[in-house]
Amino acid sequence: MIVLGIDTSGYVNAVGLADGTRVLADVAFPAKTDSLEQIVDNIDSVLKSAGLSLEDIQGIGVGLGPGSWTGIKVGVTVGKMLAFSADKPVAGIPTLEALAYAARKKSLFIYAVINSGVGDTVYAARYHTSKNGVSQEGEYFTGSIKDLVPLINEPVLLVGGDIKRYRDIILKENPLIRNKVKALEALPSGAAVACLAAVRLARGMKDNPLSLTPLYLKESTAEVFINKYKVK
Amino acid sequence: MLILGIETSCDETSAALVADGTKILSSAIATQLDLLKKYGGVVPEVAARRHTELIGYVIKEALDKAGRTLDDIEAVAVTSRQGLISCLMVGVAAAKSISYAKNVPLIGLHHIEGHIFANILSHPEMPFPHVCLTVSGGHNMLVHVQEKCRYELLGTTLDDAAGEAFDKIAKFLGLGFPGGPVIDKLSKPGNPEAFSFPRPMIKNKSFDFSFSGLKTAVINMFKDKIARGEKLPLPDIAASFQEAVVDTLVAKTLRAVEMKDLKVVSVTGGVSANSRLRQVFTETCKRKGIKVFFPDLSLCTDNAAMIAAAGYARMMLGERSDLRLNVFPNAPLGG
Repeated sequence: MIVLGIDTSGYVNAVGLADGTRVLADVAFPAKTDSLEQIVDNIDSVLKSAGLSLEDIQGIGVGLGPGSWTGIKVGVTVGKMLAFSADKPVAGIPTLEALAYAARKKSLFIYAVINSGVGDTVYAARYHTSKNGVSQEGEYFTGSIKDLVPLINEPVLLVGGDIKRYRDIILKENPLIRNKVKALEALPSGAAVACLAAVRLARGMKDNPLSLTPLYLKESTAEVFINKYKVK
Repeated sequence: MLILGIETSCDETSAALVADGTKILSSAIATQLDLLKKYGGVVPEVAARRHTELIGYVIKEALDKAGRTLDDIEAVAVTSRQGLISCLMVGVAAAKSISYAKNVPLIGLHHIEGHIFANILSHPEMPFPHVCLTVSGGHNMLVHVQEKCRYELLGTTLDDAAGEAFDKIAKFLGLGFPGGPVIDKLSKPGNPEAFSFPRPMIKNKSFDFSFSGLKTAVINMFKDKIARGEKLPLPDIAASFQEAVVDTLVAKTLRAVEMKDLKVVSVTGGVSANSRLRQVFTETCKRKGIKVFFPDLSLCTDNAAMIAAAGYARMMLGERSDLRLNVFPNAPLGG
């Protein structure tokens, strides 16, 4: 099953292709503020390089975030409307899971970490890896990177963008875990999204393209304000 | 030519199917009234999240209502210019995906051009050239429409749009949101001459508008009355405020028509649904031998049918956008 994977949650337009869990293509196009402008061209160029067209693929994987709020709205909308228009099954994949999946062979436990764009606040999740995949342990984490420190008990690999800086903050909080915490710099990967989507779709776990929504993990400032106000 | 129109520039998620730029086969509009009431106005991030949730459903509804599928669509037209950036992006992302997957042409449009076409869609017989007043919560422009898709901008608002003033006054008076319809209704039994509010820039030679001073005058008068413990005749306040807005809009528009030596006026946008505005325009234009046109009520507020109609006109001129189409929240009307 050939699956197209896209993820625009970060500072790249990640586009990949996988045949089942075999990676056919994985390209990260730089896209700081122009992910909307580029994304369809990026998809087209990855398909063409592989000698394929949209009709040739059997499914679409979409990175749901968390990450840039604007980025994930663009990626999820493009993913869902391509799936709806081309009548292809679609699977939404949390970007944190795709980050962990791409690094699964490097550590038994992985913390995937994504910058929230506000100070040291991060989105994170912990994954237990196996040869074939990853499984999330516990809930998603949204908070200061420092608050992750008490949660680190066994050797763990931190995966994500700007990750060495996060490792330094963690080690400054608790130097005793120096040997337990490794860091791997990684961008979202379209191929990882495609592989995870291929696995899900092969099991019949497709999403309804119309109801597919981003994984924000954080309310907008207005929602935070109004909910606080209501409590008072 | 069957065109799918998509409009998400503010807080309405909308899709429509229009044939040959003139025949509306379907129109689906999801409003965000619940969010407006909750937040007292449009919050861009909240609105954009809602667009992302609804865009697929709204497009599907437009197709289903018309009994068509995406295979029948021959082009996609989308609002890409003027509006809230994160909201525009959702519509454009959807439009370019459909264009790519179905291999049909794409065209990005200016939101205000859509409103100009809402009236052309309602009145195919409306002659060119004419002067168009676009007036809503987000825009307030006087445009010399020389012919289809050729515009000369005569004036715009320097601060609040007229609809924005309606919204803010309604919010201040505790009347709810959106302000236009509630003030229109409340004004019916009121005396429009009870209070003499300023007619902002009515004598100014430019065709620009400014409604923030009027808004302040109403609020100050209201506070003053409360301070003195006087009665607050809400219908009179609403009617007097509305009259000041209407007088200003009508006077400026008619001066523009006379300056251009034309005999046709088009009034569009959300505020063009206001009953007093329609009445005064109709009466004044009749006296002066000018023809005035208003869109069908369903086409006054934001909708995708007008975008599809404008898209058709542009495509007939040979225009297309490519798949790199981006959004421009503050783009001039152009033309």
